[in-house]
Amino acid sequence: MRERSDETLMAAVMAGDAAALAALVERHHSLLLGYLYRLVGGNRPLAEDLCQETFVHLLKQQSYQIGRPFKPWLYAIATNLSRDHLKSAAVCRALRQTEQAAELLERYDTAPGPEEQALAAEQGQEIAAALALLSEEYRAALLLRFYHGFSLQEIAETLHVPLGTVKSHLSVGTRRLRALLAPVQEGADCR
Amino acid sequence: MNTQPSWPLDSEDHLAEALREQEATPEEIADLTPALLRLAAWQAPALAAADTNALLAHLLPLLPTVSPVRQAIRARRQSQRGRLAWLLETARAQISILRPSFWLVSAAVIVLGALVVLRAGNPDQTLLLRAIGPFLAYLGTISAFRGGHLRVLEFELACLPSPVQLAIARLVIVLGYDVGLGLLLSLALWAGGVDNFLALTLSWLMPLLLVAGLALCLSLRLSVQTAAAIAYGSWLVLLALDSARTLTGYALLIPIPVAAEVVMGLLGLALLMIALLRMQAAMPRLLPRS
Repeated sequence: MRERSDETLMAAVMAGDAAALAALVERHHSLLLGYLYRLVGGNRPLAEDLCQETFVHLLKQQSYQIGRPFKPWLYAIATNLSRDHLKSAAVCRALRQTEQAAELLERYDTAPGPEEQALAAEQGQEIAAALALLSEEYRAALLLRFYHGFSLQEIAETLHVPLGTVKSHLSVGTRRLRALLAPVQEGADCR
Repeated sequence: MNTQPSWPLDSEDHLAEALREQEATPEEIADLTPALLRLAAWQAPALAAADTNALLAHLLPLLPTVSPVRQAIRARRQSQRGRLAWLLETARAQISILRPSFWLVSAAVIVLGALVVLRAGNPDQTLLLRAIGPFLAYLGTISAFRGGHLRVLEFELACLPSPVQLAIARLVIVLGYDVGLGLLLSLALWAGGVDNFLALTLSWLMPLLLVAGLALCLSLRLSVQTAAAIAYGSWLVLLALDSARTLTGYALLIPIPVAAEVVMGLLGLALLMIALLRMQAAMPRLLPRS
């Protein structure tokens, strides 16, 4: 049997179909949590809260227009909620996190012990630290593109920016990420 | 933990493809690929089925509870095609309330009118047309708005289109049919040898609009049958008086300048507009009192 599209399921959800809601949540829960987890810098409890809030928003607001692509709409809600949360959090805390991320990168760069390096590579800590140093719009574009395989158009719809801006964000974002990861990469290459 | 990265991190080729799509040069692709491939190292947290079930348990009470009627209305409103279908359906519903006798009697009046006018002498042509056009308006008004007498306003208020929208739909249908028939009459007369097509058309169309406008305006205060009868009756009296005065050479309506005919039609349209605008305000009075 052919799988129902996200858009069809969402139309059914708006009509009160519980089975459609279950199918939609099962399809997107894990991926959306992954996106939010990376967007908020690896904070799982916060990502879980935002994920739940996104789905609640989806049901309560009922702003979905039938026929509109569902995935960019869902991720746009998640991105906006995460953005609102980050804005409402104390600026100093954000700065402290950035400083911690920079410290983390510096440590990998200057003191790359083999075991430590292997562990960090396994856990992706340095990736998380490098992404945390990027500004939110670059980070969101990179996450949607490389972790979730979004097309450029889908990213534009999710972030509510023109296609040209998406290309620019991705271009600048990838180069900055490359620069942030370069010392670690070179350190690993030297050994 | 999700161990399998998805597109484009699942292979170097896919990553290069993604970078090319975002307009990276071959040099940039070669430079960026190793760093970007490392993104796969940061895994997202794994979810257990219990996590998804817990989320669902939280979400299910929030599901909208909408009646099937409301669902259908919302679905139609949200699609352009649905809007067009809705308009056509409203028009079809309004056509269905007009009895077959309305369509047949109106057509019969036109056929008889054409025969009589073609047989009559030239001076009586205009007089007959001035009587026939408003008669169609009379028939249309008592047929399309007879619901006022049957107290259907409560039902109309429960419908998705407003009573004013329904009234507009009926007017468009009835006047459209009458004007179409009238044009056939003009064409028949023109084919029968009458010279001035425009003058012929104006002689029935303008009084038709005037009587329809007057009848609808009066129907806000009186029953539709009474209002239509007064409007058409007044017009006939005016015609009769004028035809009597024709004998003495003091007629006002026969002949009448084209500009005056147009003014008469515009007055009719203005009365129709006033009636539609006043309809909303008149509703409380039109509702049945318990």
